[in-house]
Amino acid sequence: MLKFLAGRLALAVPTMLVIATLAFGLLHATPGGPFDTAKRMPPEIQRSIEAKYHLDEPVWRQYLRYLGDLAHGDFGPSFQYRNTSVNELIRSGLPVDAVIGSLALLAAMLVGGCVGTVAALRRNRWLDHGPMFLAVLGISIPVFVTGPLLILVFAVQLHWLPSGDWRWGEIRYLLLPVTALALPYVAYVARVARGAAIEVFASPFILTARAKGLPTRTVVLRHALRPVLLPLVSFLGPAFASVLTGSIVIESVFGLPGIGKYFLTGAINRDYTLVVGITVLYGALIIAFNLLADLCYAWLDPRVRLQS
Amino acid sequence: MKFPRCPRRFTAAALRGAAAFVAGSLAACGGGAPGADVPAVPAIHVGAGLAADQTLRRAIDSMPRTLDPSLLTDTPAQKVLDDLFEGLTALGLDGSIVPGVAASWEVSADGKQWVFHLRPEARWSNGDPVTSADFIYAWRREVDPKTGAEYAQALAPIVGAMAIATGHAPVASLGVDAPDPLTVRIVLNSPTPYLLFLLADSFMQPLHRATIERWGDDWTRPEHWVSNGPFVVKEVVIDDRISVAKNPLYWDATSVRPTRVDYFPLDTLTQVGRFMAGDIQFASIFPNSQFQWLKSRLGAQVVTGPYLGISQMAVNMQGPPFAMSRDLRLALNLALDRRILADKVREGLQPPAFSLIPPLPGYRQQLPEWASWSDERRHAEARRLYAAAGYSAAHPLRIQVDYPTNEDNRDVYDAITAMWLTNLGAQVEPYNEEFRVLLQNLRLHKPVLFQDSWIGDYPDPFTFLQLFQTGFDQNFGAYSDPAYDALLAAAAAEPDPARRFRFLEQAEQRLNAEGASIPVLYYASRHLVKPYLKGWQLNIQDRIVSRYMYLLEHEGR
Repeated sequence: MLKFLAGRLALAVPTMLVIATLAFGLLHATPGGPFDTAKRMPPEIQRSIEAKYHLDEPVWRQYLRYLGDLAHGDFGPSFQYRNTSVNELIRSGLPVDAVIGSLALLAAMLVGGCVGTVAALRRNRWLDHGPMFLAVLGISIPVFVTGPLLILVFAVQLHWLPSGDWRWGEIRYLLLPVTALALPYVAYVARVARGAAIEVFASPFILTARAKGLPTRTVVLRHALRPVLLPLVSFLGPAFASVLTGSIVIESVFGLPGIGKYFLTGAINRDYTLVVGITVLYGALIIAFNLLADLCYAWLDPRVRLQS
Repeated sequence: MKFPRCPRRFTAAALRGAAAFVAGSLAACGGGAPGADVPAVPAIHVGAGLAADQTLRRAIDSMPRTLDPSLLTDTPAQKVLDDLFEGLTALGLDGSIVPGVAASWEVSADGKQWVFHLRPEARWSNGDPVTSADFIYAWRREVDPKTGAEYAQALAPIVGAMAIATGHAPVASLGVDAPDPLTVRIVLNSPTPYLLFLLADSFMQPLHRATIERWGDDWTRPEHWVSNGPFVVKEVVIDDRISVAKNPLYWDATSVRPTRVDYFPLDTLTQVGRFMAGDIQFASIFPNSQFQWLKSRLGAQVVTGPYLGISQMAVNMQGPPFAMSRDLRLALNLALDRRILADKVREGLQPPAFSLIPPLPGYRQQLPEWASWSDERRHAEARRLYAAAGYSAAHPLRIQVDYPTNEDNRDVYDAITAMWLTNLGAQVEPYNEEFRVLLQNLRLHKPVLFQDSWIGDYPDPFTFLQLFQTGFDQNFGAYSDPAYDALLAAAAAEPDPARRFRFLEQAEQRLNAEGASIPVLYYASRHLVKPYLKGWQLNIQDRIVSRYMYLLEHEGR
């Protein structure tokens, strides 16, 4: 176990290095710089700005400087927002995405898991076909459709909920974005859970349990639940990393100050540090959550042995 | 400033699909299908008395990069700063110039020396008096290369400004001085009738030196903030909101009714949703393509008016095919059916442009003769010029027109190239590039034919005419005409405003005769405003300040 962990962590360092290098290189290779404006500034002023952000140095030195700062956990200053560091932006944006993302995934696991299991138990009956039809809809309708529709119904027509914005601690600002973000995940989880449950219910150890005369409740909760969760766990890892780094569409539609939006405007405005910073963060989260998913796997499935 | 297709205003292509859809989805649920059962937006009843809560909720196009007036680069920042600081002059309710910190001023006979008398009651938000030294400090800071102010050229009319900004002169040599704490003197290179507009701009607003020297870059944070305008910053959440509160120490605070203003940086589409839900009272923009639909649904809440900007194309004058052929330039000009673009593609939102300069008070717009011709006559003349330039069906013009990526642009360029194909047989390929990529190509003078839209910095013809001045930085087509330059020089030296305009009018005529640019449409400001929000007027600079606004009692949102 420890050996497994050490091996994975040892592999994570070069992976992160590759991610940081690629992101840095690609961004610097993109035409146009962060301080390009239609009006050209006098060269003296340009030099002054470039010196402030070390853009006057050769790219390899900028790269080494960046890696050095990164090793200390410093993502550098944002080029786009004067006097604001990328760390500050991430500190303010990440919690917003974390709250919305965790709630959406929690809803997805609870609702999707239950619906999928029930559908498997009632296979080929209306309790199966109805929810699965909705699930297909849920997966195929993108959030930039559901988001505005939710706003149209609940904010514009009914005036029940705000059409966007963000206030810490106020649940009514959460309901619409969490719902919009959760819907495709609910649908996806429901389908995966149903598939897994059908497979598990047909397996010999469940037949054995049933043959022993155990009630369905016990069969499902005690014997079937853990194997049904397995495919969901491997889905949850990357999904969590993805919602943490923000859903660009959800953030734009609801006007939330999350890091997905920072990433988008950062890319348009060539905010090198911000974009590389969020890319590196995303890479780190994916590695971390995949590792976590693997550990959960071992815990849930006695057949899995952790080896580096 | 203000290349109109400022990239921050638009979200990326990824969201464009979303944009198009929401338009569709809203339209489908709303007034899209005639006769459909339309759920109307709940009615709003407006009373006569003031609302108890005077909190304004305004949208801005995007998050300002900074609230430091010297470092400003984007239009949304300017809109917020208009509420936070006050220059020697300020903006009136109708966007005209009114006295600000300066109660009065005089100008010398040659138009080059201005003396401003400050009002002694003007205060900073920390109680300090606003003095002439605060202005001198701000202006020197603006042109000092060490500050890194991207738009330091805004001060170019002042003696010495450009020499300092380019590092050739000491900062103290700027042509401004303060004989006493309540007097500011400005010496200009040439008569500059629009100086009073420049003085209301953020670049020329005063700064509180002690605060900036104490906190450095951190001075713009709400906890350190000191300004002299009607409002002060209370809270800044990047990409969420900027909240400002009324400044009780503002010298004219009794006339300011809003107690608080929240600015929300939102893209065009999100603004529509927020407005319809009643969560904002003033939208800074809405998508061009939703104009008619919004009007059918919101009626008088949709507000549009002339805006000091032009959507035009310019040509590369450094090589073929345009450099040598005035006939070809004019042929492309004449073959455009601008009224169709205005009425059909833009649905009446933007007026057609036959010449460079939008309508301005006191200035006689110079339309080319063919602007009033019938379509047949104009097309025939366009075909004659096209043939004279050496092109025919067997040997058509084959070029591309470059424009910055944007959904609204695409409709227009698809229509334009179709008109050229139909009316002339010219094969012009519309080609869109991301704004910064296009900008880099323009600096290298690569594009042959390209969008060259422009929003004026101040309401004066010169802000547009300079685009074709030899050596001007944004003269991306490298247009150069000695006769034209001479007219601009004559205008610059002319102290009499009326005679100056006559020179500028001749310059505009010359552009038209040479076909230097291909004007397409004038810009329009477009807002959504709740019926209970009063105290605002549209103006050509689209600078609508919060200090005159107030909310009436109302039921419904």
